[in-house]
Amino acid sequence: MGRIIEEIYVWRLPVRLYHWINALTTAALFITGMYIAAPLFNPPLGEAVLYKGFSWWRYLHFAAGFIFIANFLFRLYWALFGEDKYARFGGFRPWSPTWWGTPFREQVESYLFLRSDEPNYVGHNPVAALAHFVFIFCGSSFMIFSGLAMYGENNPGGFNSVWFGWMIPLFGGSYTLHFAHHLFAWIFPIYLIMHLYAVFRHDVVDRTSVTSSIITGYKHKVEEEPS
Amino acid sequence: MQSNQTFADVFKAGGVSRRDFLKFCTLTSVYLGLSPSMVPSIVHAMEKKPRTPVIWLHGQECTCCSESFIRSSHPTIEDIIFNLISLDYDDVLSAAAGNQLEDVRRKTMKDYKGKYILAVEGNASTKDDGVYCMVGGDSFLNTLKETAADAAAIIAWGACASYGCVQNAHPNPSGAAPVSDIIKDKPIIKVPGCPPISEVMTGVVTHFHTFGTLPELDRMGRPKAFYNTRIHDKCYRRAFFDAGQFVRSFDDEATRKGWCLYKMGCKGPTTYNSCSKIQWNGGTSFPIGSGHPCIGCSEPNFWDRGPFYSRLAEVPFLGSDSNADKIGVVAVGAAAAGAAAHAAVTAVKKAKAGNEDNDKA
Repeated sequence: MGRIIEEIYVWRLPVRLYHWINALTTAALFITGMYIAAPLFNPPLGEAVLYKGFSWWRYLHFAAGFIFIANFLFRLYWALFGEDKYARFGGFRPWSPTWWGTPFREQVESYLFLRSDEPNYVGHNPVAALAHFVFIFCGSSFMIFSGLAMYGENNPGGFNSVWFGWMIPLFGGSYTLHFAHHLFAWIFPIYLIMHLYAVFRHDVVDRTSVTSSIITGYKHKVEEEPS
Repeated sequence: MQSNQTFADVFKAGGVSRRDFLKFCTLTSVYLGLSPSMVPSIVHAMEKKPRTPVIWLHGQECTCCSESFIRSSHPTIEDIIFNLISLDYDDVLSAAAGNQLEDVRRKTMKDYKGKYILAVEGNASTKDDGVYCMVGGDSFLNTLKETAADAAAIIAWGACASYGCVQNAHPNPSGAAPVSDIIKDKPIIKVPGCPPISEVMTGVVTHFHTFGTLPELDRMGRPKAFYNTRIHDKCYRRAFFDAGQFVRSFDDEATRKGWCLYKMGCKGPTTYNSCSKIQWNGGTSFPIGSGHPCIGCSEPNFWDRGPFYSRLAEVPFLGSDSNADKIGVVAVGAAAAGAAAHAAVTAVKKAKAGNEDNDKA
């Protein structure tokens, strides 16, 4: 193991808290959501009035959903006003052609084994930023809007139904919106696999302790040595 | 033509007592979700206002809407309400036929220009100039446009006229299009369902007649009074849903106990209609009440959201029928395989680089 030559505080506490709350609520939402779509457990016997089995699953889903939304909004706030140079939106400019220029291309080439060296970033590299925008920002936004629209169906004319109910005609009916919500839930396990793989790989290849950085907050630069 | 008669006149001529007439008005106000203080308004409208002329067109349809309509539930009223609407043109129910009947339609359009209600049952074929649905010597597409031009409002009866129903299910060979796709400049009330509930149909007509305005519509153009909540919200089996007590096969013990049909593909949780409130055939029953899952017939494109007996729709995906979960599992598998392959290449590259370094050293 090489000697640590530099220690950088990358992920500040709000970012780490966001990350783990997001991870836990996403997992809870996926599991409870899949259960709601296809309840597997054996039904309880006896009077229906004695049981709240299925509404408990839905309750967990809604509760996790609201924590997820609050956490997501907090992260947006942090990205916009947190003055945290590793966690802000500032550097991410996909509308500008220069953003897609050399750094992005080099990173893609590196992932495709078209170049031997690994560009090294302390925060997110441009490809990671794009992946987070697509999966976490767009994906979560869609799940939040569609989720609140469907939650609003429980109370027609209420807040969620008024502010998010337009999603239902947009998707051609409640059933189609449920379907889209169900289908897009799958982007989270897909993201999880890509995310974990990328993290572990960077840890092995770049040896920047990226894996432990989401717990401790610190990334390290280590002395080069032949492997 | 008895065009100036009021509803009350016709009731009277038909031998309906004033007591029954008031009963009808009260019941109608209940179905419309109006407060008791609105009953006098209905009575007033029924007694004083001349009957609203209705032209009822039939396009590509099965007449189940008409069948439902003539079964409006109040026992002494069911046929009378049908006779009472000034139904000036209805090619299915009229005694006259051919040119004679088409003349009546044109005369009504002229006499009540801008005042009549156009009720449309079924939809129009739009492909090849609408030749796949010809009524009275012209394409239904033309007849619909012609009749809609001078209408006060349009009622789109049933799933066909509202959304397209089975005619525009995939692959839609005749190019069937709902009324709202063809007529853009008139207020349209969508009364979906296959068919809609009879009391919903008479309720919508009565509302228009009473207030002279369209009932309050939701985002999808349906009257809120009847389509504001889902079947699920008022379902008498909801307690079994909340308890997690589901029917798993049509011949199990749970079926006999009348448990929730969610796992049998019931579309009640995503279907906006009044079946679980008003029920059918004078409150006799409704599909879930008879042990069958809701198929969501009042929702857009319900034929293409199948199968009826599964909660999750099948979608054509890579040439075979699949559903969201199968697509998701394939995509997750692909991501995992991609990661594994990438890891393998990384390992090989690293080993190679290591060897080169060793060779140099």
